[in-house]
Amino acid sequence: MDAKLKETILNPIFKGNPITVLVLGICSSLAVTVTLKGALVMALSVIVVTGISSLILSLLRKTIPGRVRIIVQLVVVAMMVILVDQILKSFEATYAIDKQLSVYIGLIITNCIVMGRIEAFALGNKPWPSFLDGVANGAGYGLILLVVAFFRELLGSGTLFGIDILNRFGYVPNNLVILPPFALILLGCIVWVQRSIQKDLQEK
Amino acid sequence: MNTNNNVYTVIYTTVIVVIVAALLAFVSQSLKGKQDANEKADTISQMLTSAQYGTKEEISGLGNAAVLEKYSQEIEKAFVIDLEGNVVRELEGNEVYSAKQLKRQNYNIKGGPNKTGEPELPVFVFKNGRTVVPIYGAGLWGPIWGYMSFETDLKTIGGAYFDHESETAGLGARIKDDPSFQAEFVGEVADFSSENVFDIVKGGAPKDAEGKSVVDNKIDAISGATMTSQGLDAAIDTWLAAYAKYFVNNAPKQEESCCGEETETCEGACEESNQEVEE
Repeated sequence: MDAKLKETILNPIFKGNPITVLVLGICSSLAVTVTLKGALVMALSVIVVTGISSLILSLLRKTIPGRVRIIVQLVVVAMMVILVDQILKSFEATYAIDKQLSVYIGLIITNCIVMGRIEAFALGNKPWPSFLDGVANGAGYGLILLVVAFFRELLGSGTLFGIDILNRFGYVPNNLVILPPFALILLGCIVWVQRSIQKDLQEK
Repeated sequence: MNTNNNVYTVIYTTVIVVIVAALLAFVSQSLKGKQDANEKADTISQMLTSAQYGTKEEISGLGNAAVLEKYSQEIEKAFVIDLEGNVVRELEGNEVYSAKQLKRQNYNIKGGPNKTGEPELPVFVFKNGRTVVPIYGAGLWGPIWGYMSFETDLKTIGGAYFDHESETAGLGARIKDDPSFQAEFVGEVADFSSENVFDIVKGGAPKDAEGKSVVDNKIDAISGATMTSQGLDAAIDTWLAAYAKYFVNNAPKQEESCCGEETETCEGACEESNQEVEE
Protein backbone atom coordinates (compact mmCIF):
# COMPACT_ATOMS: atom_id res chain seq x y z
CA MET A 1 0.00 0.00 0.00
CA ASP A 2 1.51 3.31 -0.98
CA ALA A 3 2.16 6.03 1.58
CA LYS A 4 -0.56 8.37 0.32
CA LEU A 5 -3.29 5.75 0.68
CA LYS A 6 -2.04 4.86 4.13
CA GLU A 7 -2.19 8.52 5.09
CA THR A 8 -5.78 8.67 3.78
CA ILE A 9 -6.77 5.90 6.14
CA LEU A 10 -4.76 6.82 9.24
CA ASN A 11 -5.12 10.60 9.23
CA PRO A 12 -8.86 10.75 10.12
CA ILE A 13 -8.47 8.25 12.96
CA PHE A 14 -6.29 10.47 15.10
CA LYS A 15 -4.32 13.37 13.58
CA GLY A 16 -7.22 14.75 11.56
CA ASN A 17 -10.08 13.28 13.56
CA PRO A 18 -13.42 14.64 12.29
CA ILE A 19 -14.80 15.31 15.78
CA THR A 20 -11.83 16.52 17.79
CA VAL A 21 -9.89 18.34 15.08
CA LEU A 22 -12.37 19.24 12.35
CA VAL A 23 -15.17 19.66 14.95
CA LEU A 24 -17.77 17.99 12.71
CA GLY A 25 -20.58 15.73 13.92
CA ILE A 26 -20.64 17.15 17.46
CA CYS A 27 -24.41 17.19 17.67
CA SER A 28 -25.03 13.48 17.14
CA SER A 29 -22.08 12.55 19.33
CA LEU A 30 -23.91 14.17 22.25
CA ALA A 31 -27.14 12.38 21.48
CA VAL A 32 -26.21 8.76 20.88
CA THR A 33 -23.48 8.18 23.45
CA VAL A 34 -25.64 7.28 26.44
CA THR A 35 -25.01 3.57 25.87
CA LEU A 36 -22.11 1.75 24.22
CA LYS A 37 -24.47 -0.43 22.19
CA GLY A 38 -26.18 2.61 20.68
CA ALA A 39 -22.84 4.28 19.97
CA LEU A 40 -21.51 1.14 18.28
CA VAL A 41 -24.51 0.80 15.97
CA MET A 42 -24.39 4.52 15.19
CA ALA A 43 -20.66 4.31 14.43
CA LEU A 44 -21.14 1.36 12.07
CA SER A 45 -24.06 3.10 10.36
CA VAL A 46 -22.02 6.25 9.79
CA ILE A 47 -19.08 4.21 8.44
CA VAL A 48 -21.38 2.51 5.93
CA VAL A 49 -23.03 5.78 4.90
CA THR A 50 -19.80 7.80 4.51
CA GLY A 51 -17.96 4.95 2.77
CA ILE A 52 -20.59 4.01 0.22
CA SER A 53 -21.83 7.52 -0.56
CA SER A 54 -18.23 8.67 -1.11
CA LEU A 55 -17.75 5.70 -3.44
CA ILE A 56 -20.92 6.37 -5.43
CA LEU A 57 -20.27 10.09 -5.76
CA SER A 58 -16.66 9.55 -6.69
CA LEU A 59 -17.81 7.23 -9.51
CA LEU A 60 -20.27 9.89 -10.66
CA ARG A 61 -17.93 12.85 -10.11
CA LYS A 62 -17.18 13.57 -13.78
CA THR A 63 -20.86 13.52 -14.80
CA ILE A 64 -22.35 15.63 -12.00
CA PRO A 65 -23.39 19.12 -13.18
CA GLY A 66 -21.44 21.63 -11.09
CA ARG A 67 -24.41 23.83 -10.29
CA VAL A 68 -26.50 21.07 -8.69
CA ARG A 69 -23.72 19.00 -7.17
CA ILE A 70 -24.83 19.61 -3.56
CA ILE A 71 -28.37 18.45 -4.41
CA VAL A 72 -27.03 15.32 -6.09
CA GLN A 73 -24.82 14.62 -3.05
CA LEU A 74 -27.80 15.09 -0.78
CA VAL A 75 -29.94 12.65 -2.77
CA VAL A 76 -27.28 9.96 -2.63
CA VAL A 77 -26.56 10.46 1.08
CA ALA A 78 -30.28 10.48 1.90
CA MET A 79 -30.73 7.26 -0.02
CA MET A 80 -27.92 5.58 1.94
CA VAL A 81 -29.29 6.77 5.28
CA ILE A 82 -32.80 5.49 4.51
CA LEU A 83 -31.37 2.16 3.37
CA VAL A 84 -29.40 1.77 6.60
CA ASP A 85 -32.45 2.66 8.69
CA GLN A 86 -34.68 0.23 6.80
CA ILE A 87 -32.15 -2.58 7.11
CA LEU A 88 -31.64 -2.00 10.85
CA LYS A 89 -35.41 -2.18 11.31
CA SER A 90 -35.61 -5.49 9.45
CA PHE A 91 -33.35 -7.63 11.61
CA GLU A 92 -34.44 -9.05 14.93
CA ALA A 93 -31.06 -8.33 16.45
CA THR A 94 -30.94 -4.64 15.53
CA TYR A 95 -34.64 -3.74 15.76
CA ALA A 96 -34.47 -2.79 19.44
CA ILE A 97 -31.37 -0.64 18.92
CA ASP A 98 -32.92 1.12 15.95
CA LYS A 99 -35.91 1.89 18.15
CA GLN A 100 -33.62 3.28 20.81
CA LEU A 101 -31.66 5.47 18.36
CA SER A 102 -34.95 6.50 16.72
CA VAL A 103 -34.45 9.79 14.89
CA TYR A 104 -30.67 9.85 15.13
CA ILE A 105 -30.16 7.26 12.43
CA GLY A 106 -32.23 9.44 10.10
CA LEU A 107 -30.20 12.45 11.19
CA ILE A 108 -26.95 10.94 9.90
CA ILE A 109 -27.98 12.82 6.77
CA THR A 110 -27.29 16.09 8.55
CA ASN A 111 -23.95 14.88 9.90
CA CYS A 112 -21.41 17.32 8.52
CA ILE A 113 -18.79 14.59 8.19
CA VAL A 114 -20.67 12.90 5.35
CA MET A 115 -21.23 15.92 3.13
CA GLY A 116 -17.92 17.47 4.21
CA ARG A 117 -15.82 14.52 3.06
CA ILE A 118 -17.75 14.14 -0.19
CA GLU A 119 -17.29 17.80 -1.07
CA ALA A 120 -13.66 17.94 0.07
CA PHE A 121 -12.40 14.55 -1.07
CA ALA A 122 -14.68 12.27 -3.07
CA LEU A 123 -15.44 14.79 -5.83
CA GLY A 124 -11.72 15.19 -6.60
CA ASN A 125 -10.37 11.68 -6.14
CA LYS A 126 -10.64 8.20 -7.63
CA PRO A 127 -13.32 5.81 -6.22
CA TRP A 128 -11.05 3.54 -4.16
CA PRO A 129 -9.25 6.28 -2.17
CA SER A 130 -12.62 8.06 -1.76
CA PHE A 131 -14.20 4.93 -0.32
CA LEU A 132 -11.29 4.50 2.11
CA ASP A 133 -11.46 8.17 3.07
CA GLY A 134 -15.17 7.83 3.82
CA VAL A 135 -14.70 4.67 5.87
CA ALA A 136 -11.74 6.13 7.78
CA ASN A 137 -13.60 9.32 8.65
CA GLY A 138 -16.58 7.27 9.80
CA ALA A 139 -14.19 5.20 11.90
CA GLY A 140 -12.55 8.29 13.39
CA TYR A 141 -16.00 9.55 14.33
CA GLY A 142 -16.98 6.14 15.70
CA LEU A 143 -13.84 5.90 17.83
CA ILE A 144 -14.62 9.14 19.67
CA LEU A 145 -18.25 8.04 20.01
CA LEU A 146 -17.17 4.81 21.69
CA VAL A 147 -14.77 6.56 24.07
CA VAL A 148 -17.46 9.04 25.14
CA ALA A 149 -20.09 6.30 25.41
CA PHE A 150 -17.73 4.17 27.52
CA PHE A 151 -17.51 6.82 30.23
CA ARG A 152 -21.14 7.89 29.97
CA GLU A 153 -22.53 4.38 30.28
CA LEU A 154 -20.07 3.41 33.03
CA LEU A 155 -20.70 6.50 35.17
CA GLY A 156 -24.29 7.21 34.13
CA SER A 157 -25.78 3.73 34.35
CA GLY A 158 -23.02 1.75 36.05
CA THR A 159 -23.00 -0.74 33.17
CA LEU A 160 -21.05 -1.52 29.97
CA PHE A 161 -22.96 -2.95 27.01
CA GLY A 162 -25.83 -3.40 29.48
CA ILE A 163 -23.74 -5.61 31.78
CA ASP A 164 -23.60 -4.48 35.40
CA ILE A 165 -20.11 -3.28 36.35
CA LEU A 166 -20.30 -0.66 39.11
CA ASN A 167 -23.83 -1.07 40.50
CA ARG A 168 -22.96 -4.27 42.32
CA PHE A 169 -20.46 -2.29 44.42
CA GLY A 170 -23.21 0.05 45.54
CA TYR A 171 -22.48 2.75 42.94
CA VAL A 172 -25.30 5.25 42.50
CA PRO A 173 -25.61 6.17 38.79
CA ASN A 174 -24.93 9.85 38.14
CA ASN A 175 -27.80 11.47 36.26
CA LEU A 176 -25.69 14.40 35.04
CA VAL A 177 -23.53 12.02 33.03
CA ILE A 178 -26.59 10.85 31.10
CA LEU A 179 -27.56 14.38 30.05
CA PRO A 180 -26.03 15.81 26.85
CA PRO A 181 -23.93 18.56 28.54
CA PHE A 182 -21.69 15.95 30.10
CA ALA A 183 -20.86 14.56 26.66
CA LEU A 184 -19.65 18.04 25.74
CA ILE A 185 -17.45 18.13 28.86
CA LEU A 186 -15.99 14.72 27.96
CA LEU A 187 -15.39 15.83 24.38
CA GLY A 188 -13.56 18.87 25.71
CA CYS A 189 -11.34 16.60 27.80
CA ILE A 190 -10.59 14.43 24.74
CA VAL A 191 -9.63 17.49 22.69
CA TRP A 192 -7.42 18.62 25.60
CA VAL A 193 -5.62 15.27 25.70
CA GLN A 194 -5.17 15.24 21.93
CA ARG A 195 -3.78 18.76 21.82
CA SER A 196 -1.31 17.99 24.58
CA ILE A 197 0.02 15.10 22.51
CA GLN A 198 -0.15 16.85 19.14
CA LYS A 199 1.72 20.11 19.67
CA ASP A 200 1.14 21.37 16.11
CA LEU A 201 -2.60 21.76 16.88
CA GLN A 202 -1.92 24.34 19.60
CA GLU A 203 -2.50 27.95 18.64
CA LYS A 204 0.33 30.30 19.50
CA MET B 1 -19.06 16.95 -22.50
CA ASN B 2 -20.49 20.21 -21.18
CA THR B 3 -22.05 19.29 -17.84
CA ASN B 4 -23.24 22.83 -17.21
CA ASN B 5 -25.79 22.74 -20.00
CA ASN B 6 -29.35 23.36 -18.72
CA VAL B 7 -30.94 20.43 -20.52
CA TYR B 8 -28.21 18.09 -19.26
CA THR B 9 -28.66 19.32 -15.69
CA VAL B 10 -32.44 18.77 -15.74
CA ILE B 11 -32.19 15.32 -17.31
CA TYR B 12 -29.37 14.29 -14.98
CA THR B 13 -31.18 15.26 -11.77
CA THR B 14 -34.42 13.68 -13.00
CA VAL B 15 -32.72 10.39 -13.78
CA ILE B 16 -30.86 10.31 -10.46
CA VAL B 17 -34.00 11.03 -8.47
CA VAL B 18 -36.06 8.44 -10.34
CA ILE B 19 -33.40 5.77 -9.86
CA VAL B 20 -33.08 6.52 -6.13
CA ALA B 21 -36.86 6.61 -5.66
CA ALA B 22 -37.33 3.30 -7.44
CA LEU B 23 -34.57 1.67 -5.40
CA LEU B 24 -35.97 2.92 -2.10
CA ALA B 25 -39.51 1.89 -2.99
CA PHE B 26 -38.27 -1.58 -3.89
CA VAL B 27 -36.26 -1.98 -0.67
CA SER B 28 -39.09 -0.63 1.46
CA GLN B 29 -41.57 -3.05 -0.09
CA SER B 30 -39.32 -6.06 0.18
CA LEU B 31 -38.40 -5.41 3.83
CA LYS B 32 -41.88 -4.42 5.00
CA GLY B 33 -42.86 -7.95 5.99
CA LYS B 34 -39.84 -8.38 8.23
CA GLN B 35 -40.26 -4.97 9.82
CA ASP B 36 -43.92 -5.59 10.57
CA ALA B 37 -43.05 -8.96 12.08
CA ASN B 38 -40.46 -7.30 14.34
CA GLU B 39 -42.90 -4.62 15.41
CA LYS B 40 -45.60 -7.18 16.14
CA ALA B 41 -43.30 -9.38 18.20
CA ASP B 42 -42.20 -6.29 20.11
CA THR B 43 -45.81 -5.30 20.80
CA ILE B 44 -46.65 -8.81 21.97
CA SER B 45 -43.61 -8.96 24.23
CA GLN B 46 -44.73 -5.66 25.80
CA MET B 47 -48.16 -7.15 26.52
CA LEU B 48 -46.65 -10.34 27.95
CA THR B 49 -44.41 -8.18 30.16
CA SER B 50 -47.38 -6.25 31.53
CA ALA B 51 -49.18 -9.57 32.20
CA GLN B 52 -46.13 -10.56 34.28
CA TYR B 53 -44.82 -13.43 32.17
CA GLY B 54 -41.30 -12.15 32.74
CA THR B 55 -39.22 -9.02 32.21
CA LYS B 56 -39.17 -7.35 28.80
CA GLU B 57 -35.56 -8.46 28.24
CA GLU B 58 -36.38 -12.08 29.06
CA ILE B 59 -39.36 -12.15 26.72
CA SER B 60 -37.77 -10.23 23.84
CA GLY B 61 -34.67 -12.37 24.24
CA LEU B 62 -36.66 -15.45 23.24
CA GLY B 63 -36.76 -14.25 19.64
CA ASN B 64 -39.74 -13.39 17.45
CA ALA B 65 -40.97 -16.93 16.75
CA ALA B 66 -40.91 -17.96 20.41
CA VAL B 67 -42.68 -14.76 21.47
CA LEU B 68 -45.53 -15.42 19.02
CA GLU B 69 -45.76 -19.01 20.17
CA LYS B 70 -45.86 -18.05 23.84
CA TYR B 71 -48.60 -15.55 23.05
CA SER B 72 -50.78 -18.08 21.24
CA GLN B 73 -50.27 -20.52 24.13
CA GLU B 74 -51.08 -18.04 26.85
CA ILE B 75 -53.89 -15.99 25.33
CA GLU B 76 -57.33 -16.92 26.60
CA LYS B 77 -59.39 -14.58 24.47
CA ALA B 78 -58.83 -11.29 22.67
CA PHE B 79 -61.53 -8.98 21.41
CA VAL B 80 -62.40 -5.39 20.61
CA ILE B 81 -65.00 -3.47 22.61
CA ASP B 82 -66.70 -0.12 22.13
CA LEU B 83 -67.07 2.69 24.67
CA GLU B 84 -70.16 1.01 26.12
CA GLY B 85 -68.18 -2.11 26.92
CA ASN B 86 -69.90 -4.31 24.30
CA VAL B 87 -67.80 -6.76 22.34
CA VAL B 88 -67.62 -5.58 18.72
CA ARG B 89 -65.49 -8.34 17.26
CA GLU B 90 -63.05 -11.07 18.20
CA LEU B 91 -59.35 -10.68 17.40
CA GLU B 92 -58.32 -13.65 15.27
CA GLY B 93 -54.94 -15.34 15.37
CA ASN B 94 -52.15 -13.11 16.54
CA GLU B 95 -53.81 -9.80 15.72
CA VAL B 96 -52.67 -7.08 18.10
CA TYR B 97 -52.78 -3.30 18.25
CA SER B 98 -49.36 -1.75 17.73
CA ALA B 99 -48.45 1.82 18.66
CA LYS B 100 -49.44 3.09 15.20
CA GLN B 101 -52.91 1.60 15.48
CA LEU B 102 -53.27 2.86 19.04
CA LYS B 103 -52.53 6.37 17.79
CA ARG B 104 -55.58 6.24 15.51
CA GLN B 105 -57.74 4.92 18.36
CA ASN B 106 -56.41 7.65 20.64
CA TYR B 107 -57.80 10.24 18.20
CA ASN B 108 -61.09 8.35 18.08
CA ILE B 109 -61.38 8.32 21.87
CA LYS B 110 -60.56 11.98 22.25
CA GLY B 111 -62.68 13.14 19.31
CA GLY B 112 -61.83 16.31 17.43
CA PRO B 113 -60.90 16.81 13.79
CA ASN B 114 -58.69 13.71 13.59
CA LYS B 115 -61.48 11.35 14.58
CA THR B 116 -62.01 8.73 11.88
CA GLY B 117 -64.65 6.51 13.47
CA GLU B 118 -65.86 4.92 16.66
CA PRO B 119 -63.04 3.91 19.05
CA GLU B 120 -61.95 0.28 18.86
CA LEU B 121 -60.69 -0.77 22.27
CA PRO B 122 -58.75 -4.04 22.30
CA VAL B 123 -58.88 -6.30 25.38
CA PHE B 124 -56.54 -9.24 25.87
CA VAL B 125 -57.35 -11.85 28.53
CA PHE B 126 -54.46 -14.16 29.37
CA LYS B 127 -54.60 -17.65 30.85
CA ASN B 128 -53.02 -16.46 34.11
CA GLY B 129 -56.22 -14.48 34.68
CA ARG B 130 -54.83 -11.06 33.86
CA THR B 131 -56.59 -8.72 31.46
CA VAL B 132 -54.30 -6.51 29.39
CA VAL B 133 -55.38 -3.19 27.88
CA PRO B 134 -53.27 -0.61 26.04
CA ILE B 135 -52.80 3.08 26.77
CA TYR B 136 -51.49 5.79 24.45
CA GLY B 137 -50.73 9.48 24.81
CA ALA B 138 -48.25 12.30 24.45
CA GLY B 139 -45.04 12.50 26.46
CA LEU B 140 -42.67 15.45 26.40
CA TRP B 141 -40.98 14.90 23.04
CA GLY B 142 -43.15 12.33 21.33
CA PRO B 143 -45.76 9.63 21.79
CA ILE B 144 -45.76 7.30 24.77
CA TRP B 145 -47.79 4.12 25.02
CA GLY B 146 -47.92 0.94 26.99
CA TYR B 147 -49.95 -1.93 28.34
CA MET B 148 -51.48 -2.40 31.77
CA SER B 149 -52.76 -5.68 33.14
CA PHE B 150 -55.52 -6.15 35.69
CA GLU B 151 -56.16 -9.05 38.05
CA THR B 152 -59.39 -11.06 37.88
CA ASP B 153 -61.22 -8.51 40.06
CA LEU B 154 -60.72 -6.09 37.15
CA LYS B 155 -59.46 -3.24 39.27
CA THR B 156 -56.22 -4.35 40.94
CA ILE B 157 -53.26 -3.69 38.64
CA GLY B 158 -51.21 -6.78 37.92
CA GLY B 159 -48.45 -5.13 35.96
CA ALA B 160 -47.54 -2.39 33.53
CA TYR B 161 -45.09 -1.82 30.72
CA PHE B 162 -44.57 1.51 29.00
CA ASP B 163 -42.69 2.49 25.89
CA HIS B 164 -41.89 5.80 24.25
CA GLU B 165 -40.47 7.18 21.06
CA SER B 166 -38.11 9.92 22.21
CA GLU B 167 -38.32 10.76 25.91
CA THR B 168 -35.13 12.02 27.61
CA ALA B 169 -32.74 9.21 28.46
CA GLY B 170 -32.35 8.83 32.21
CA LEU B 171 -35.37 11.01 32.99
CA GLY B 172 -38.60 10.53 31.02
CA ALA B 173 -37.21 7.37 29.46
CA ARG B 174 -37.41 5.76 32.89
CA ILE B 175 -41.07 4.96 32.24
CA LYS B 176 -39.63 2.28 29.97
CA ASP B 177 -36.16 1.59 31.34
CA ASP B 178 -36.78 1.63 35.08
CA PRO B 179 -38.38 -1.63 36.24
CA SER B 180 -38.91 -0.15 39.72
CA PHE B 181 -41.20 2.54 38.28
CA GLN B 182 -43.29 -0.06 36.48
CA ALA B 183 -43.31 -2.20 39.62
CA GLU B 184 -44.91 0.67 41.56
CA PHE B 185 -48.14 0.06 39.66
CA VAL B 186 -48.43 -3.53 40.83
CA GLY B 187 -51.07 -3.96 43.54
CA GLU B 188 -52.53 -0.48 43.19
CA VAL B 189 -56.25 -0.23 42.50
CA ALA B 190 -57.75 1.78 39.67
CA ASP B 191 -60.85 3.80 40.52
CA PHE B 192 -63.15 3.35 37.54
CA SER B 193 -65.93 5.38 39.12
CA SER B 194 -64.08 8.69 38.86
CA GLU B 195 -62.58 10.57 35.95
CA ASN B 196 -59.18 10.36 37.59
CA VAL B 197 -58.97 6.62 37.15
CA PHE B 198 -55.32 6.57 38.11
CA ASP B 199 -52.97 9.27 39.37
CA ILE B 200 -49.24 9.72 39.03
CA VAL B 201 -48.64 12.38 41.63
CA LYS B 202 -45.84 14.83 42.07
CA GLY B 203 -44.63 15.22 45.62
CA GLY B 204 -45.30 11.67 46.65
CA ALA B 205 -48.23 9.30 46.84
CA PRO B 206 -49.61 8.48 50.31
CA LYS B 207 -47.30 6.09 52.20
CA ASP B 208 -47.96 3.74 55.08
CA ALA B 209 -45.83 3.47 58.21
CA GLU B 210 -43.28 1.24 56.50
CA GLY B 211 -42.85 3.67 53.63
CA LYS B 212 -44.71 1.50 51.14
CA SER B 213 -47.24 3.06 48.82
CA VAL B 214 -50.77 2.80 50.23
CA VAL B 215 -53.08 0.66 48.12
CA ASP B 216 -55.03 3.32 46.24
CA ASN B 217 -55.01 4.76 42.75
CA LYS B 218 -51.89 6.88 43.26
CA ILE B 219 -48.17 6.33 42.67
CA ASP B 220 -45.10 8.58 42.71
CA ALA B 221 -44.16 10.53 39.61
CA ILE B 222 -40.59 10.44 38.33
CA SER B 223 -38.52 13.35 39.61
CA GLY B 224 -36.94 15.33 36.79
CA ALA B 225 -39.56 14.04 34.36
CA THR B 226 -42.61 16.11 35.21
CA MET B 227 -43.88 16.45 31.66
CA THR B 228 -43.50 12.76 30.86
CA SER B 229 -45.18 11.81 34.14
CA GLN B 230 -48.07 14.16 33.43
CA GLY B 231 -48.36 12.81 29.89
CA LEU B 232 -48.41 9.24 31.16
CA ASP B 233 -51.01 10.17 33.78
CA ALA B 234 -53.21 11.77 31.13
CA ALA B 235 -52.76 8.81 28.77
CA ILE B 236 -53.75 6.33 31.49
CA ASP B 237 -56.76 8.41 32.56
CA THR B 238 -58.01 8.85 29.00
CA TRP B 239 -57.72 5.22 28.06
CA LEU B 240 -58.87 3.60 31.30
CA ALA B 241 -61.86 5.95 31.38
CA ALA B 242 -62.75 4.64 27.91
CA TYR B 243 -62.60 1.10 29.27
CA ALA B 244 -64.40 1.98 32.50
CA LYS B 245 -67.81 0.56 31.53
CA TYR B 246 -66.31 -2.75 30.44
CA PHE B 247 -64.35 -3.09 33.67
CA VAL B 248 -67.25 -2.13 35.91
CA ASN B 249 -69.78 -4.34 34.09
CA ASN B 250 -67.54 -7.38 34.01
CA ALA B 251 -66.06 -7.14 37.50
CA PRO B 252 -67.05 -10.11 39.66
CA LYS B 253 -70.13 -9.22 41.71
CA GLN B 254 -69.56 -8.70 45.39
CA GLU B 255 -71.81 -10.70 47.70
CA GLU B 256 -73.12 -7.70 49.59
CA SER B 257 -74.31 -5.07 47.23
CA CYS B 258 -73.33 -1.68 48.52
CA CYS B 259 -76.05 0.69 49.64
CA GLY B 260 -78.60 -1.91 48.63
CA GLU B 261 -78.56 -0.67 45.07
CA GLU B 262 -77.75 -3.02 42.24
CA THR B 263 -76.66 -0.44 39.74
CA GLU B 264 -73.70 -0.61 37.41
CA THR B 265 -71.94 2.27 39.06
CA CYS B 266 -72.75 0.90 42.46
CA GLU B 267 -69.49 1.88 44.11
CA GLY B 268 -69.53 5.45 42.94
CA ALA B 269 -73.18 5.88 43.79
CA CYS B 270 -72.49 4.56 47.24
CA GLU B 271 -69.75 7.08 47.92
CA GLU B 272 -71.88 9.89 46.60
CA SER B 273 -74.80 8.99 48.80
CA ASN B 274 -72.49 8.75 51.80
CA GLN B 275 -71.20 12.21 51.11
CA GLU B 276 -74.73 13.51 50.91
CA VAL B 277 -75.47 12.00 54.29
CA GLU B 278 -72.38 13.63 55.77
CA GLU B 279 -73.33 17.00 54.38
